[in-house]
Amino acid sequence: MQEKVEAQNILSMNSVEVLYDNVILAIKGVSVQVPKGEMIALLGSNGAGKSTTLKAISGLLKAERGRISRGEITFQGTDITEALAQKRVEMGICHVIEGRRVFEHLTPDENLTAAAPRGMSRSTLNAEKEKIYGYFPRLAERKNSQAGYLSGGEQQMLAIGRALVTQPKLLMLDEPSLGLAPFLVEEIFGILQKINKDEGLSVLLVEQNALAALEIVSQGYLIENGRVVMHGTAEALKSNSDIQEFYLGGGETDFHNVKHYSRRKRWLS
Amino acid sequence: MFYRLSGVHHANYVSDSRIFKVPADRNLTAFIFLIGLAAPFIIPSLYLNSYMLPWLIWTAAALGLNLVTGWAGQLHLGYAAVMAVGAYSAIHAARFGVPWEFALIIGGLTSAVIGSLFAFAALRVKGLYLALTTLAMQFVMDWVLTHSPAISGGSHASLQSPTLALLGQEITTDTGFYYVAFGWCVLVTIFMLNLKRTGLGRALVAVREKDFAAAILGVNSFYYKILAFATSSFIAGVSGALLVATFFFLAAPEQFSVAVSIQVLAMVIVGGLGSIIGSYFGVALILLVPGIVNGLVVTLSDGLGMQIDVETLAHIPNAVYGALIVIILLIEPLGLGKLYGNIRDYLMVWPFDQFKK
Amino acid sequence: MDWVFLSELAINGALTGLLYSLFAIGLVLIYKASSVPNLAQGGLTMVGAYVVLALARDVGLPLWLAIPLAAVVMFGLGFGIERVALRRLAGRPVVMILMLTLGLDIFLRGTTLAIWGGTSRSMELGVSYDPLFLGDIFISRIHLVGAGVALALFVAFMLFFRTRTGIKLRAIADDYMASWSVGISVERGVGLSWALASVVAVAAGVIWGEIQGVDQALSLLLLKGLTVAVLGGLDSILGAVIAGIILGVVENVGADFLDPLVGGGSRELIVAAVLILTVMIRPHGLFGRHDIERV
Repeated sequence: MQEKVEAQNILSMNSVEVLYDNVILAIKGVSVQVPKGEMIALLGSNGAGKSTTLKAISGLLKAERGRISRGEITFQGTDITEALAQKRVEMGICHVIEGRRVFEHLTPDENLTAAAPRGMSRSTLNAEKEKIYGYFPRLAERKNSQAGYLSGGEQQMLAIGRALVTQPKLLMLDEPSLGLAPFLVEEIFGILQKINKDEGLSVLLVEQNALAALEIVSQGYLIENGRVVMHGTAEALKSNSDIQEFYLGGGETDFHNVKHYSRRKRWLS
Repeated sequence: MFYRLSGVHHANYVSDSRIFKVPADRNLTAFIFLIGLAAPFIIPSLYLNSYMLPWLIWTAAALGLNLVTGWAGQLHLGYAAVMAVGAYSAIHAARFGVPWEFALIIGGLTSAVIGSLFAFAALRVKGLYLALTTLAMQFVMDWVLTHSPAISGGSHASLQSPTLALLGQEITTDTGFYYVAFGWCVLVTIFMLNLKRTGLGRALVAVREKDFAAAILGVNSFYYKILAFATSSFIAGVSGALLVATFFFLAAPEQFSVAVSIQVLAMVIVGGLGSIIGSYFGVALILLVPGIVNGLVVTLSDGLGMQIDVETLAHIPNAVYGALIVIILLIEPLGLGKLYGNIRDYLMVWPFDQFKK
Repeated sequence: MDWVFLSELAINGALTGLLYSLFAIGLVLIYKASSVPNLAQGGLTMVGAYVVLALARDVGLPLWLAIPLAAVVMFGLGFGIERVALRRLAGRPVVMILMLTLGLDIFLRGTTLAIWGGTSRSMELGVSYDPLFLGDIFISRIHLVGAGVALALFVAFMLFFRTRTGIKLRAIADDYMASWSVGISVERGVGLSWALASVVAVAAGVIWGEIQGVDQALSLLLLKGLTVAVLGGLDSILGAVIAGIILGVVENVGADFLDPLVGGGSRELIVAAVLILTVMIRPHGLFGRHDIERV
């Protein structure tokens, strides 16, 4: 039974703790499972530890002088807790980092080339590019202009496209909706859903825009203060009254509820 | 020595902003000061003159550069040129008959004026570009110096310094020179220690961290950058003048070349940006260790009966000097001052930190 | 005004300028891939020249073999420098990185001289010293050869930066974190740029060694190389070539006018002035990338 669960989960993260600079405890025992071919969301407010969770998975912690001090991460059954970022990308984990960090002085086309894995043949690369331009026709139109001058939405598409060139099995996105107009968010999320369906790509999505995220994912985790405080299917989360009040908006929030929620949070963590 | 923090409670801001927050630090400093005072009676005159004296003057100079680079965060690769300005104007003034006390101040002020020119570059660019501009300015200064016989002292390009006399007392002995250097170094150190506690020091740090954020808080970064350059140049000028008056006795352009600028910067960075005690360490390391290593190599090769080429021996100190910079930066980019700080912090609570985990 | 003389000054200036470019290309390569200003390029150039000589004189290889072999050795040295030193300081403030490269420069120079001594040696490439005449204009052959090498390297690197590896290096220069996130090995990329710059240093060392002798003075090219690199824009190879020509012409023609006025030696002054003016007026140089700030 246990093995079967392992096989279904492409990624499994077990009570991971992350320390920055050897002193700051950013996440305190987070466990997250991503079933193969599904879309999962990590929700939570600023500084809750969502980005750190993603960086722990992609191995980018090292660049920020952080390290995993406890717990383990397995990807397709292999332990990757100590693996280099580069190795993890080769294995099929790609992380679209926060803030649309495209290579500004390169053209979109060169951005895609830069991400090509070592040893990918020219024809495969071209096929990949065609496929990505198929998903994001706007990029194809502007493939030879400078990436730094693309619009915010186009940059986000380019960042996602660039990640797809690495032929990931698990795609992690850090706040793709940040600073984008709602219709663009919808467009990008729609494309993500399409890629997820067409290619069976597993997706781990970090979002503050819980409303939009819960529309496309199957399960969600709520992280607060470096801990997972809630986990359930998208439906269950959407109908949870606390989530509704504090993350989805709407409803009357009064001090009594806030107090009640804080108490529950303490209890959970 | 141990338990130094026990019993130290600062209950108000005045006591918390004292120079020495921990009594042990004050005692240690007083002890070192006394050793410094007694040095001429303890240390043989040869060592006093060829090691202690340059060490102290270069430390004063390095503290000046630390003010502008460590505190205000402005890279400066033309510091030696500023020292040269001070040295030459002070010596010319002294030769003209101005009493040395005033000649030194004239040197410092001239340096401050010329040094502020560097600040105008700093107003426009920072980081790498500032470093390159100041480097180019150093070359221009060098050029002016070597190409104007009126400044550099005629065809031999060397200028004899008149005998140093302070407070009506001619200074000619090694002990006398030492005390002048010691006095100047102590003066600069006290100034720097106090700088930390003033609004000026805090404004400089604010400018270093983010000049436009400082500007938003009402810190006029324009004014403070110029002030930082002017103050550090004043220190540079007087240090340069004293260096010639008590150590070289003869001013020559190559005493203040690009290589010297790089050397002072190395002293500051190896010592630790913004660290006062670090500057003492940095100067000691950069100034003294290459010579010591060379001495060791000679002794070793003699002992082993090997013959080492004279050329090789002549260049070993340089290789060691370069290697020291690289090694220290790799071990601790924040310099020797930080290493000292780590040891101090460790001893401060020893042995209780053993139980922390 | 003697136009023949003036054009002779200009043409020779341009050729010398291309030799500065040869030096500056090394600086640009490293800056382009890692935004690190390599102040050790002078030391590297000196080491390059000495290694060629060591292989040619001390080992006794013919020059045509010694030069490529030296290039291989220096390629390794460049990689090594990145591995041992630069990698540890990645992400630190620029002042520390500047100091590190300065320390490297001093170390390389000191070590080279400690091993091979400070007496000037000659390269003896076998290029004839007979001048070429272009009409009435007198041109030095070795300068012509050097300019050719500089242009060849320029073309080679322009092509290189269009290859996949070249694009990855440019990506690294743009954003370390984003490069890591898509599996680009930043460390290997930066190492490669140091290795290539060290190979360029061999070329510069050989040509300059032939012109002015192989000795300590080779490292003094740094100021001119830096000026060319900054004027060209620090991360533009095309910029380095064009700025080299500009600086060479300005220096040669300017010195001819200024020298009688100030009593000689105005070349250094002109170079320093060009550097200061560039930084003050146009810090990103002729062809340098601006940092894009999109509103």
